[in-house]
Amino acid sequence: MKLSEEEVRKITFEAISELEDKATPEAVKELVRRRVESMGGDYKFEKGDASSGRVILTSFGLNHPGIVAGVTKALGDANCDIQDLSQKILGDFFTMIMVIDISASQKDLKEIQEEMNKIAAQLKIKIYLQHEDVFRYMHRI
Amino acid sequence: MPYEFEEILETIRMTEIEHFDIRTVTMGISLRDCHDRNIEVTKQKIYDKILRYGKQHVKLAKEVESQYGISIANKRISVTPISIPFDACNAEEFIEIAKTLDKAAEEIGIDYIAGYSALVQKGMTNGERELIKSIPFALSQTKRVCSSVNIGSTKAGINMDAVMMMAEVIKLTAEKTKDNDSIGCAKLVVFANAVEDNPFVAGAFHGVSEPEIVLNIGISGPGVVLEAIREAGNVDLQQLSEVIKKTIFKITRAGELIGRKVAEKNGIPFGIVDISLAPTPAEGDSIADILKAMGLEDVGAPGTTAALAMLNDSVKKAGLMASSSVGGMSGAFIPVSEDVGMIRAVHAGNLSLEKLEAMTAVCSVGLDMIAVPGDTAVTTIAGIIADEAAIGIINDKTTAVRIIPAYGKKIGDFVDYGGLLGRAPIMEVRTISSAGFVGRGGRIPAPMRSLTN
Repeated sequence: MKLSEEEVRKITFEAISELEDKATPEAVKELVRRRVESMGGDYKFEKGDASSGRVILTSFGLNHPGIVAGVTKALGDANCDIQDLSQKILGDFFTMIMVIDISASQKDLKEIQEEMNKIAAQLKIKIYLQHEDVFRYMHRI
Repeated sequence: MPYEFEEILETIRMTEIEHFDIRTVTMGISLRDCHDRNIEVTKQKIYDKILRYGKQHVKLAKEVESQYGISIANKRISVTPISIPFDACNAEEFIEIAKTLDKAAEEIGIDYIAGYSALVQKGMTNGERELIKSIPFALSQTKRVCSSVNIGSTKAGINMDAVMMMAEVIKLTAEKTKDNDSIGCAKLVVFANAVEDNPFVAGAFHGVSEPEIVLNIGISGPGVVLEAIREAGNVDLQQLSEVIKKTIFKITRAGELIGRKVAEKNGIPFGIVDISLAPTPAEGDSIADILKAMGLEDVGAPGTTAALAMLNDSVKKAGLMASSSVGGMSGAFIPVSEDVGMIRAVHAGNLSLEKLEAMTAVCSVGLDMIAVPGDTAVTTIAGIIADEAAIGIINDKTTAVRIIPAYGKKIGDFVDYGGLLGRAPIMEVRTISSAGFVGRGGRIPAPMRSLTN
């Protein structure tokens, strides 16, 4: 059974009022998860984590006109917010890194990755999209 | 920009070019509540429990892979050492349990399930004896089951009766799987000081002090370390150690993140990060190449043990700083068949069994994926196991022997398994006899080191 956002929100409010002052985020999440499972629902909780927060887009390849336009148009269509952009040209080689927020997007990270793979093939460049956490864990203590 | 341009490119380079991946995410499942007087009910309980926890394991791990852009090479499962909950079983029943594990692994879509194991360092129960007897049959009649037996520990000494039994088991396993280059032996590990939270198959099992369910991960990344050493150029060894530590720190951090996310998705507790540098047969993903980059002409040259000791120590120091959940083996692995550089060194005659044995004194784990002639005597194999175990118990570290007396093969031949198990040249073994010593039986008493209280 597929549950809508609205139904899950209703279950969540019920859980919060039931838990009263014991309603920590973890307790609520756990209770909601149990409720949804007991209803036989298959609402994907993980979608929330995957699309919340920021992802880093890295693209590179041989420089030619239209790369930035192609990538940003696809991101705009997917309702992704570009928060930062840095670009360098080394010889014939083009590198662009973007920090994008995909939480407002109707698509999840996986769908945006698939979209970007198509763009990468058209533009003959490489595009990688990774969740920001991996960079934070590796490079920040 | 919250990250430097170079930092982002460094991460991309590691994951896309230098083979940085998570070597394994291993779900440990306790089977201690699965016993029943009726073997059919026992089998059903085992199957149901593994499926209940493991059903989504592969799918969820794949989701994390695509989310973070770091690939996870293996998704695996370890279970309670089978001899413990099912001690009342006989050999035939144990084989049935092995087949059940195999079926569960196939259903989940994983390549290996580990924990067909017994811990007999001090002595054996009847069930443990039956399980050990069943190993050659279990491994030849299943594809995905891995087995391990712990025959020694610093606290207990070395159970030499078990060592002899295991040597016989290894020979019989080689014969039973002779049509596939004695592949059964590649799935059988003999340990001293086995660890309870090791995520690396074939030696993994879900130890008795572990919780109901847990997720452990093993990182990889020899390629990343290799590139960092090459890039560092001609620096002194202290500086080189710094370079290794910085690199390992980063990959351990990423590893822990991935492990925690997979555990979170499964809704189960996260256990440990094993910071072992595990090679794969892929070009550039080799421990041997790291040792060469450190300045040795080839692995096996005098200085190899020192270089490996330094590498191993640097890995540990950085890993400990990067994660509060370091466990498992946590060192450098030197499996011969899974490391192209090692294969080359053996093939060129630069690396002997004796040098490998010395190397195992300073790294995890031991003589791993070593192919020897099929006619190697049982007592000689027992001698090799006893030597490794002695290194382990005296130095208070884990050692293991995964040796393949390849049926019908001679020095100069190869065994070839493809995939992650790779291919191994048949190595020379000294033929002077150990029979009188290993044949005495009994137990080598626990060493001085055991009296730490």
